[in-house]
Amino acid sequence: MKVKIKKWHAIAQWRWDTGHNDPDDDGEGDVCGICRVPFEGCCPTCKMPGEDCPLIWGECTHVFHMHCLLQWIGTASSKQQCPMDRRPWVTAERKVDANNPR
Amino acid sequence: MTNQALYSQISAKWNNSFNRLNRGEPGISGLLSFSQAWRTATAFLYPQDLNDPSSYKEYSIQDVRASFDTLSKSKMLPLLMENFLENMRQQQYLVERDIQKYMTEYEAAGSAEAIGRLLFRLVDWYKAWSPIPELGTTLLSAYTLAFQTYIYSSFPPSFSRGFKDLIASTFDLVNASCPPPWALPSEPQASTSAAPPRPDLPLWTACETLGLLDRYESLIASVCYEYIEAHVLNTCAKKWDDSMLVCLREWMAEKVVPWMVMPYARGARNAEEARSMLQGVGSRFDYHVCKTLCDLRTQEIFDIIIDYPDSQPALQDLKECLARVDQRSELVTTLRKANKKRLLHPGADTKDILTQYVSIIRCLRLIDPPGVLLYKVADPIRKYLRERPDTIRCIVASLVGDGESGDSLVDENEPIQPLQQKQADDFADANWEPEPIDAGPNFRTNRPTDVISTLVSIYDSKDLFVKELQVLLAQRLLAVTDGNYERERRNIEILKIRFGEAALQVCEVMLRDMTDSRRIDQHVQQQKPMPLHPTIVSRHFWPPLQTSSFNMPGQFKEIQDAYAKEFHIFKPDKKLHWLPHLGTISLEIELQDRTINAEVPPLEAAIIELFSSKDTWDVAELAAEMKVDKTAAIKALLTWMDLGVLKEEDVNHYKLLEVAEEAPAGTKTVSRPAVVIEEVSAVLTVQRQQAEQMKVYWNFIEGMLTNLGALSLQRIQGMLKFASGYDRTIEQLAEFMEAARREGLVTVKDGMWKLHR
Repeated sequence: MKVKIKKWHAIAQWRWDTGHNDPDDDGEGDVCGICRVPFEGCCPTCKMPGEDCPLIWGECTHVFHMHCLLQWIGTASSKQQCPMDRRPWVTAERKVDANNPR
Repeated sequence: MTNQALYSQISAKWNNSFNRLNRGEPGISGLLSFSQAWRTATAFLYPQDLNDPSSYKEYSIQDVRASFDTLSKSKMLPLLMENFLENMRQQQYLVERDIQKYMTEYEAAGSAEAIGRLLFRLVDWYKAWSPIPELGTTLLSAYTLAFQTYIYSSFPPSFSRGFKDLIASTFDLVNASCPPPWALPSEPQASTSAAPPRPDLPLWTACETLGLLDRYESLIASVCYEYIEAHVLNTCAKKWDDSMLVCLREWMAEKVVPWMVMPYARGARNAEEARSMLQGVGSRFDYHVCKTLCDLRTQEIFDIIIDYPDSQPALQDLKECLARVDQRSELVTTLRKANKKRLLHPGADTKDILTQYVSIIRCLRLIDPPGVLLYKVADPIRKYLRERPDTIRCIVASLVGDGESGDSLVDENEPIQPLQQKQADDFADANWEPEPIDAGPNFRTNRPTDVISTLVSIYDSKDLFVKELQVLLAQRLLAVTDGNYERERRNIEILKIRFGEAALQVCEVMLRDMTDSRRIDQHVQQQKPMPLHPTIVSRHFWPPLQTSSFNMPGQFKEIQDAYAKEFHIFKPDKKLHWLPHLGTISLEIELQDRTINAEVPPLEAAIIELFSSKDTWDVAELAAEMKVDKTAAIKALLTWMDLGVLKEEDVNHYKLLEVAEEAPAGTKTVSRPAVVIEEVSAVLTVQRQQAEQMKVYWNFIEGMLTNLGALSLQRIQGMLKFASGYDRTIEQLAEFMEAARREGLVTVKDGMWKLHR
């Protein structure tokens, strides 16, 4: 017997490749440390998830919604530190989407 | 001394009386002429027997007049009157005899004609006994009163019934070309020997003469009421497509008003006078027309609403009637009762209830624009709908114009408008009007008038709708394979207007996922053509999808991995997470002697893929390999058995048929319910899940019926209760058995089920 696939309509979900989570994780996934919304959701100011509300990776391995972090960095009290570990925030360039300015 | 005084007193009185009677004539000649006059007068006035013509005597009118003159001078007229009335009382038995005669005739024949003749006969009596008008009105009116008293006291109880019949017959009499013989007085007077102006005139005149019009006024009116009622019921019942009130008023003008002229405006000398005399009674009858029609339409209201919009004229009638007759509370009570009896019961479809509710909204808005009636009627319906589990689904389905469910609740022509929220009272409104007088305490004038807003307001929050909408949209989008979801997009745009952009943001994301998936797929296919075309969804924005832990085997896995890799290259920040059990796969299976095409869910495809590596599999083995439960595995196997690719060699032991096998007719196929290949939707409905599970119990039922012969439904249910996890109601079992019967697996006779062999 030979099984030949003519057409396959499948359903899949996309996930951010944060490098942390287990690929088979079916749970709610990680949340942004600033807005507490899942990474696959979007930050409070955005309406569309995905490319419109990307993530930002820090050298410290912490990940946030980009908009959340930029807003945090923009405030004076942030002292340009990562909100999780208070180390100076350095964006891990490698991970940022090439289309985004930062 | 005392005697002397007494004597003189008596003597004075005597002289006084004597002088009165003697009238100062010489000697006693005055006295003699007085007694002569008394005799003539009493004889003249004596009530004669009509049936005995011999008792008639001719009197010279001069003599009679002279006699009365004499009596009048002697001031003896009151005494004469007393004497006359006393004589009348004695002669009354003559009249009574006649009354009895005619009444017996009436009771025997039941015909109102006898009553008519009786009236004319009584008039004859009345005229025969009547004193001449010269005697003055005092005597005449005393006579009339006495005569009427006598005849009224002589009427038997059945007279009023007979009189009613007689009046009822006058409706036909008005239009008769010439009066029937009984409706004419027995002795037509010379002056009216030509046909009377109206056939019913003599009868009414007779009635008036006898004073029956005043005495039986309410009875006459009731006859007319009944006449109106009969006509309204005859002409208007179940006739809703025409405005009947206009016809009825025309009918009143043509038929009833001419009749009314006789009893109510006979004395009118011209049309103007007649009109003013008829005004009061006419408006009473017009009121009755409205009331009767109103009652009728109130009784019919439920069916009228079903017929809407064809029944619009009837509703207009009802509106007009309600303005005249205050029957609003009756309408509410009746409609509520009808709704309870005919609509709000488990037998009615939610869809039907909603349709009727929408019709009720439209109809009652027509009758009562402020919506007080609607508010009162709608309350139980809304309460009931709230308890139904599928109400929201039905409303949402009709919101998005579900094609299969036929006519939508929403009128296509109605403008799409945002949902109306309860508005705060505007205290500065110059056009403010108080709420209608019969409005309940919770009533609000400015309730939403839009049908959809009303439906949505059944529930306190519109979030429930949005959620249901999301599920519905997800089901549809995931079922889309050809990339054509324009209809869904259009629906969402329409719904955005209603629910607001923010509420439907999630749906917007879902639609964008669809577009993105297509774009990504196009890119991936350019890099590496593959048969796999996934829909990639943003989790958190879709309703919870079924989860499952199995992995696709063999070539499926390879394709998945290849696709995921291409995806990761295209979108370096993202990766794919497959939901392997969702979607559909179109397969071509090449066997030694045949090729089979099938479109199956992924689990089925996975199972057959496993068979390509090994010819025979055990159910337990398969389930373990796939990490699914046995039920799911068996179901997938059944699909392939139906397609003739697999065969159950042994219990729970399946074999691939490289060469098609003639199925031994009637033996193997009977051993299981036929499985219809169904498209498995991503979001399973509860009902379908249950049906699927029910198939497992078929084995139990089959065993039971094999070993124990025919069994009743109760018995089967009782036995199944022993099976672990069985939680069906007997109704569900009955449904299942019925389905099995349709498949030809079982037969039922007198409530006993047995296997069909």
